[in-house]
Amino acid sequence: MTDWQWFIIDILQAFAAGLLVGGTYGLMCVGLGIIFGVMRVVNFAHGDFMMLGMYAAYYLVTGFGVLAFLGPYVAPIVGALLAGPIVFAIGWVLHRFLIANVTGARVVSAEAEGHYAQIILTLGIALVLANGGLILFGSLPISVQTPLSRESWAIGEVLLNKARTVSFFIAVAVAILLYMFLTRTSLGKALRAAADNPIAAAYVGVDVDRAHRLAFGLGVGITAIAGGLIASSQSFQPYIGFDFVIVMYAGVVLGGMGSILGAFWGGLTIGLVQQMSTLVLPYQLQNTAIFVVFLLIIFFRPQGMFGRVWERT
Amino acid sequence: MLSIQSLDVAYGGLRALSGVSLEVARGQFVAVVGANGAGKTTLFKTISGTVAPVSGAITYNGRDLLAVPPAERAQLGIAHVPEGRQVFASMTVMENLEMGAYTRAGRERWAQSLPMILELFPILAERRDQLAGTLSGGEQQMLAIGRGLASAPALLMLDEPSMGLAPAVVDLIFERIHQVHRDQGLTILLVEQRAAEALESCDHGYVLETGRVVLQGPHDTLMSDPRVRRAYLGM
Ligand SMILES: Nc1ncnc2c1ncn2[C@@H]1O[C@H](COP(=O)(O)OP(=O)(O)O)[C@@H](O)[C@H]1O
Ligand SMILES: [Mg+2]
Repeated sequence: MTDWQWFIIDILQAFAAGLLVGGTYGLMCVGLGIIFGVMRVVNFAHGDFMMLGMYAAYYLVTGFGVLAFLGPYVAPIVGALLAGPIVFAIGWVLHRFLIANVTGARVVSAEAEGHYAQIILTLGIALVLANGGLILFGSLPISVQTPLSRESWAIGEVLLNKARTVSFFIAVAVAILLYMFLTRTSLGKALRAAADNPIAAAYVGVDVDRAHRLAFGLGVGITAIAGGLIASSQSFQPYIGFDFVIVMYAGVVLGGMGSILGAFWGGLTIGLVQQMSTLVLPYQLQNTAIFVVFLLIIFFRPQGMFGRVWERT
Repeated sequence: MLSIQSLDVAYGGLRALSGVSLEVARGQFVAVVGANGAGKTTLFKTISGTVAPVSGAITYNGRDLLAVPPAERAQLGIAHVPEGRQVFASMTVMENLEMGAYTRAGRERWAQSLPMILELFPILAERRDQLAGTLSGGEQQMLAIGRGLASAPALLMLDEPSMGLAPAVVDLIFERIHQVHRDQGLTILLVEQRAAEALESCDHGYVLETGRVVLQGPHDTLMSDPRVRRAYLGM
């Protein structure tokens, strides 16, 4: 093959890798987007909840091996999905006893003061989770073991890593389920109503504080599933959350703060940017490319590329 | 049905309502008129529970309403159509109406209330899949009232439905409110700056000035009161 053909294949390969990794990034961003959309809270601890999802999947599949009976192919998938409800429960409890004190119907409509407390609290939770993780899990990088991560499907010359491909489809499926929950069910609509206009939502009988608790649990749970999926194709340690914070914030801002569907496309785009940048930049600079895109968006289109900013009348 | 006794409400140190008492009997149309800043919205927020009073009592069907958590008050059949419409802008017209029917009663009566609402405001049927944020002010007001009706309420509370609307639209909206009251016997509590339209067909009216009820009485008494005629009806 000529150099020219190899170049095309490189581009296709980077594009495919970006798409696959972007699916899980998209799901991750949806989790953060839900929390911001409903609660108007910037959750600085979001990356650390993702880390919890990774360890939940690890201990279920590899560490304690409770899912080992499912076999090396199915266990990592079930482990990632189960990380969702586990982290949902952690998020629910943290919201109930800590976060609810500085958020909620009262604070959503008030400005300024409330937000300082939120920033300090979520930053504090981030530190506690990351350092608590270090004590509990140790600092050794680990990953969820599956033979899929060493195998590929070939489409012509382009190789699709099996673990990443499976993760992609699961991430998309979870995102679709979530979308259907938000648009088709009465509870999902109540969440959107509470996000849109908390005061009017209370007038129609929505318990806005409970909606917030559900949104927080769902947001961290969804991101934990994304983390659990990534855990089988990448090694991690308790500080991994920090590496993904930039991916998640860039994705959510790109998608338009508050637009949950937009957050998915935002995350997908970030995955593409990250992988495509490896064509021209050294591997170590791929997160720099994301950061540059992030700055460009804030400069040129602060309202995001995809979702419209939710109007508040 | 709704009984308010000497209600005092303050924002910080600022008094917004002082000793307000008010009665709404089942099936009545009660209007509260007052200028901007008189405390009309504060009165409604206290009934709905977004503002807590300093003192006073509110009973609703014999129950102490102040002891009921705000989110549960809608379940008791109280529909609050807020000032400035407050539709769910990012949701469709249909979804807004469905949210109105979020209460138990609303869900049970949905099959009957939806056609009733769409007949009352046919424009909502035309716009059913449009985002509420893209509707005109008048359409949003109709949607806000429709959302209130979708809860199959026992008491419909309307906060300045005329606000910021063209006169022709205001006439249409008042006409529809009267129609609902007349045809369904729905109990209505209306607060308005536009005294003439509000008092015209009420059973009982209250005049609120800087947080106090300065005058009240049945429709005929109020309409013939010289002070009301001069200050509010421009006669
Ligand atoms: N959130 C608030 N904080 C402080 N003061 C308020 C607040 N809302 C209303 N007020 C004051 O309370 C008084 C009554 O306001 P409001 O109930 O909105 O009157 P109306 O609805 O009749 O125009 C006004 O003096 C207003 O400035
Ligand atoms: Mg008002």
